[in-house]
Amino acid sequence: MHLAYPAVLAVLLFSVGVYGVLARRNVILVLMSVELMLNAVNLNLVAFDVWLRDTLHAGQALTLFTITVAAAEIGLGLAIVLLVYRTRRTAAVDRVTALGDRHEADDPADAAEEKEQAAA
Amino acid sequence: MIATHALAAAGGNSPSIPAPHIEYGQLSPMLVVFGAALVGILAEAFLPRRLRAATQLGISLAGLVGGFVAVVVLAAQGHASTRAGLLAMGSVAIDGPALFLQGVILLTAVLAVLTYAEGRLEPRINGHRIDAFAAQAAAVPGGEQEREATREGLRTTEIYPLTLFAVGGMLLFPASNDLLTMFVALEVLSLPLYLMCAIARRRRLLSQEAAVKYFLLGAFASAFFLFGTALLYGYAGSLRLGEIADVVSGVAPVTPALAVTTQNDALLLIGLAMVSVGLLFKVGAVPFHSWTPDVYQGAPTPVTGFMAAATKTAAFGALLRLFYVAFPGIRWDWRPVMWGVAILTMVVGSILAVTQQDVKRLLAYSSIAHAGFILTGLIATDRRGVAAVLFYLLAYSFVTLGAFAVVTLVRDSKGEATHLSSWAGLGRRSPLLAAVFALFLLAFAGIPLTSGFTGKFAVFQAAAGGGAAPLVIVGVLSSAIAAFFYIRVIVLMFFSDPQPSGPAVAVPSALTATTIAFGVLVTLGLGLLPQYFLDLATKASIFIR
Amino acid sequence: MNAYAPILVLGAIAAAFAVGSVVMASLTGPKRYNRAKLEAYECGIEPTPQPVGGGRFPIKYYLTAMLFIVFDIEIVFLYPWAVSFDALGIFGLVEMLLFIATVFVAYAYVWRRGGLEWD
Repeated sequence: MHLAYPAVLAVLLFSVGVYGVLARRNVILVLMSVELMLNAVNLNLVAFDVWLRDTLHAGQALTLFTITVAAAEIGLGLAIVLLVYRTRRTAAVDRVTALGDRHEADDPADAAEEKEQAAA
Repeated sequence: MIATHALAAAGGNSPSIPAPHIEYGQLSPMLVVFGAALVGILAEAFLPRRLRAATQLGISLAGLVGGFVAVVVLAAQGHASTRAGLLAMGSVAIDGPALFLQGVILLTAVLAVLTYAEGRLEPRINGHRIDAFAAQAAAVPGGEQEREATREGLRTTEIYPLTLFAVGGMLLFPASNDLLTMFVALEVLSLPLYLMCAIARRRRLLSQEAAVKYFLLGAFASAFFLFGTALLYGYAGSLRLGEIADVVSGVAPVTPALAVTTQNDALLLIGLAMVSVGLLFKVGAVPFHSWTPDVYQGAPTPVTGFMAAATKTAAFGALLRLFYVAFPGIRWDWRPVMWGVAILTMVVGSILAVTQQDVKRLLAYSSIAHAGFILTGLIATDRRGVAAVLFYLLAYSFVTLGAFAVVTLVRDSKGEATHLSSWAGLGRRSPLLAAVFALFLLAFAGIPLTSGFTGKFAVFQAAAGGGAAPLVIVGVLSSAIAAFFYIRVIVLMFFSDPQPSGPAVAVPSALTATTIAFGVLVTLGLGLLPQYFLDLATKASIFIR
Repeated sequence: MNAYAPILVLGAIAAAFAVGSVVMASLTGPKRYNRAKLEAYECGIEPTPQPVGGGRFPIKYYLTAMLFIVFDIEIVFLYPWAVSFDALGIFGLVEMLLFIATVFVAYAYVWRRGGLEWD
């Protein structure tokens, strides 16, 4: 089988992941899309490793590292997302907008802060 | 390394892979820091609560100072120059730039950890001293659990081991000599930073939001870095920077499999572009900068100072090594793109900074602009460029750390008063603090006799010498724009009347005072007597291959 | 083709055993259903989503699952060593012991902080 098949499949997977990150509003789905991108990388690495007959198997080694790092990243990401969800009751990325460039007097950053203080 | 073929060999005992050789002594800066981080985790697990904060500070300082001593010893033994070499089977490089940047990162980390431990700024609660970090990071803001944790005077002392892990990654990042090590270092430095952003004591919603944004964009960027790595591996058949350089310049022997992949330039160019995206994101260059202001504003200020100084240093080190070791052969391809990125970064950073109303956001945009200035040094593609970038990073780190330490001191009842309007008339209320902040701003602006001037002069000189004169003109122009808003803040502090309900300046303990004093010292020292450090940077400016 | 005959036979025996045991069990075994037995197995949580508001599972579940996944996946680094431990000799053994020790540091933290307690 020619190298082009897995390589193109990997590019397609990666593109699906990029689309998911850019188009999805739910943080969990964004995280899943990032995972898809990383899996595309794994596919690519293993395919290149086999094609090049790398005696040191650097591609497969990097795949192992990608898998473990992805797991750590997801564990950490879910923890942060959960923290935000428990406070705000939303997991939509476009609702988390207290920080940003603004000049109006009623700065949402201040509003969020006041809400926090009111709750405290 | 993995050797699945060992299974296929007769009897399964093929000695085809020799046991790797690891130079523990020369890796000692990183090993000491990681070791201290592990001890920190154990202390967190087994020590009673009241002992933790002091113990963690001691462990962190011991680890960071120990790492710095190791760097100095290695440099004194000549590992920065004559005995520079590759370690751990070629995956880590020890050479001038690596040791120089490791020294800078460790020093900034020591000063940053001092600001973490500052306990005099917040009012005491039930007799407990508290710091800038959440009482209990997992508690819902404003909830009963949080109130209870605050009453008991809890502190998130995990911040210290997290910082040590991040520092360990940062030490490895500019020293990594293959893309695998670079990726691991990138993640080891990023993952703790995402968490550290989320644990501010005040304004917790903003802090958590900053963490979400940093995490999502960071994960996105590192996926790009990885895909680029995979493509480069496919092109060159190796992850080693030196071997990639050989394949790129056609020196390496061509196997039949490589003959197929190396004729496909798309693999090389797209791969390089995607790896660069990952690194430029960490650096905060336009158009990958959008996270910077939000994260800098939302993160706890001591963490922002650490992140702004040390992450930038580490990421520029990796960027330099990537371009100077692996891709000098195709510099005519990447230089025009980096020109565009540098110009965009300088101009956008400077112009957007003018409109900011928040001190932390202002410093964030200023850090974006500075990333642009440093990129002009990178484009020089010669030894002088490397030396200029190294010197600039040294100067910039300490100014940034000092500036953010000053921001932690200006407070009102709600915590830090970061809105610019509340800084009006600060010079009358606290002339010393305002003068120190003015000095840092002048250094950011690149006014002579400060470290910022020497650094900017060095990068612009290197860029002009490397044939990038138009870039220098854009650089000088955007410096002028940037100087406008720095001066505006100084005018605001000294020549407008203080607000009656304005913020007060808290009196720090010796910890924050040391950080600020060191920042002032380095800023003036590198401005008045830069020659020693310029020589040091020049001596350290050769990458080993 | 001859070389593959044993594999085919083995496959046939395996299939016969699998199908046979399921069929035998359903023919001969007693049938006492209860609610838990009728639900699809979903490693401990409610398999079908509940109406909004009542469909959340406890946070403990998330914590345990996450810890499991992280520790589980870090162990993948043992795999390359297991493949070539003879070639790596004593060096590989020492390095792997160091690796396991660092994983245990994290484990000690989780244990002391109550991450493993269910109630």
